Amino acid sequence: MSPEATPLLEVQDLKVWFPVYGGILRHQVGTVKAVDGLTFSLKRGEVLGLVGESGSGKTTVGRAVINLHKPMYPDVELSGEISFRARQDSPAVNLNGLGRAAMKPHRADVQMIFQDPFSSLNPRMTVLQIIEGPMKIHTDLNKDARKERVLELLQRVGLQPQYAERYPHEFSGGQRQRIGIARALATRPSLIIADEPVSALDVSVQAQVINLMLELKKEFGLTYIFVAHDLSVVYHIADRIAVMYLGNIVEIGTADQVYRAPKHPYSKALLSSVPKPDPRSDKSGRVILQGDIPTPLAKPSGCGFRTRCPIAKPECAGLTLELEDKGKGQMVACPYVD
Amino acid sequence: MSQTPQKSLSVFQRRWRKFKTLKRGWYSFQALIVLYMLSLLCPLFINNKALVVKYGGEYYFPVVGQFNEARDFGQRIIGEVEYRTLARSTEEADGDDWVLMPPYAFHPNESLLDEADLPGRPPHFPTSNHWLGTDNRGRDVLARLVYGFRISITFAIGVVTLSYLLGMVIGQILGYFGGRVDIYGQRIVEIWSGLPFLYTVIIISSIVTPNVWVLILILAIFRWMGISLYMRGEFYREKSRDYVAAAIAQGESHWTIMFRHILPNSLTPVVSFAPFALVAAISSLVSLDFLGFGLPAPTPSWGEMVNQGLQNITKWHLIAFPLAALFGTLMMVVFIGEAIREAFDPKVFSRLR
Repeated sequence: MSPEATPLLEVQDLKVWFPVYGGILRHQVGTVKAVDGLTFSLKRGEVLGLVGESGSGKTTVGRAVINLHKPMYPDVELSGEISFRARQDSPAVNLNGLGRAAMKPHRADVQMIFQDPFSSLNPRMTVLQIIEGPMKIHTDLNKDARKERVLELLQRVGLQPQYAERYPHEFSGGQRQRIGIARALATRPSLIIADEPVSALDVSVQAQVINLMLELKKEFGLTYIFVAHDLSVVYHIADRIAVMYLGNIVEIGTADQVYRAPKHPYSKALLSSVPKPDPRSDKSGRVILQGDIPTPLAKPSGCGFRTRCPIAKPECAGLTLELEDKGKGQMVACPYVD
Repeated sequence: MSQTPQKSLSVFQRRWRKFKTLKRGWYSFQALIVLYMLSLLCPLFINNKALVVKYGGEYYFPVVGQFNEARDFGQRIIGEVEYRTLARSTEEADGDDWVLMPPYAFHPNESLLDEADLPGRPPHFPTSNHWLGTDNRGRDVLARLVYGFRISITFAIGVVTLSYLLGMVIGQILGYFGGRVDIYGQRIVEIWSGLPFLYTVIIISSIVTPNVWVLILILAIFRWMGISLYMRGEFYREKSRDYVAAAIAQGESHWTIMFRHILPNSLTPVVSFAPFALVAAISSLVSLDFLGFGLPAPTPSWGEMVNQGLQNITKWHLIAFPLAALFGTLMMVVFIGEAIREAFDPKVFSRLR
């Protein structure tokens, strides 16, 4: 698989807006612009880390790529393009806002690992039923063949095959997340959206799950979009990191560029929030932001970050932000840094 | 791997086990099931038709609906054979003929005015042949109570099943699709809840004579709203869980997600309210019959019997036995409901020990 060939995913100007209703007659009183004009592309076999604080829209991006918004909130307004090529030679399809039936054949190629291992597994189904669910829809394997594959998958994610007949409540968080991973792998997808897959786990278990995901990536030729707020975890797994703020990417670059030498003032602040193991380490370089992320209901004009930015200028209110290349492919959405 | 793996239990299996440990509810459940099964067979035990007749060298089985002309059996009456009389006469004749009667050989709709041990005008107090006495038309109270039990329980099960099916499907649709479907659907449910139930029943029963099925239908049509709101709420909550998102991401159909993924997780209100709905349905039939808008006249119904008790307030057996039967049945169902509620209580499983 040559990484230089056609990109797996190209997202162009993606917008995900949720109307907000109020009043007795439930008319629209506003719009939450959860994702507002997002552009990025993803090469085959790459891991893109999406980071940002709560409310930055990183989960929304993941769910938009897998087309979860429309079936769950029919009123959502989607625009932009999510151009996806499952295989090197397959034609590109725009997944954005595809209807149920039209999306169905592509469901096998894009799968998701969820954040909460407790609510993401149906408590009334056995592990076998959970993992074979996607196979029932997307393959024509018979019952025995499905079971065989489930057992294989269980073994592959580090669980004993005899667990297949058990129910989710009999497992620990880490084990449940492995079941979730096995389910995501069941249809042999090419892209997996991992929505904070380790943030609900113990630190010791986090490392195991991350390493498992890396092994599986090599073995199955997977591509990940890895959504997280824990930067050190993302740095460990991601090839490239995109920093999101208020529904936009403010900086995107290789993991080293963004983690070691962030350029956007928000990325700098985010990075300086990573705890350092040494309590005597120098804290002078720390950037501490004031206040909270503004509500996406009423975003500041121009640069969304200007209300908390340490280098904000009056002109920031009138900026139209573009990601600019600040050298070696490190794209930053701020004209005042270099 | 030397340890023997314990059998995994589903949530339902665990709750079932818990239910079985709650003795009062579990015994009530078993008793009610057995009683209902027996009452379905009650024509074999309580009936004025013989089980088997051997007469003139031939066998007859009147209890399964066979009609026998009285003339052919040497009785000088028009219509069907009186089997109790026939039984007595064959016994006295001491010939080859014989009659096997049910153990309690009286029919609930039969006026027992010529019985030797029932002198004077009905109602009669209990005797050794008529254990619970007779009512104001000389009908056997025990026979009517047992047949009434069968009707009550069948009616209640019918009402609960039908109204719950209707309410669950409507509630599921409101909760699952949400949005506009939910807003307008809920208004319709509210308007429907505003219709006066009793007036509708009075109007309908003045047009057609209601039988059990019509009454079940009417009650079900006015009883589904409550459970539909619970189901709606359950579906709203479950819909936001990630396992539903996972099912969508797998490309499951609406139908599968609603019935295979969400529904099994939303049955708690259904199962826990069902026994109490059963109580309500039994009481509704009793009160409708009491008011005279229920089942048509000769049907043995508890409400009609309670009404007779009220009109013959000096005849204690007409009040005591129907009320005791009603009380006993409702109490057993309430015990079942209580046990189910406790078996479904999540705190029992999450308590720190």
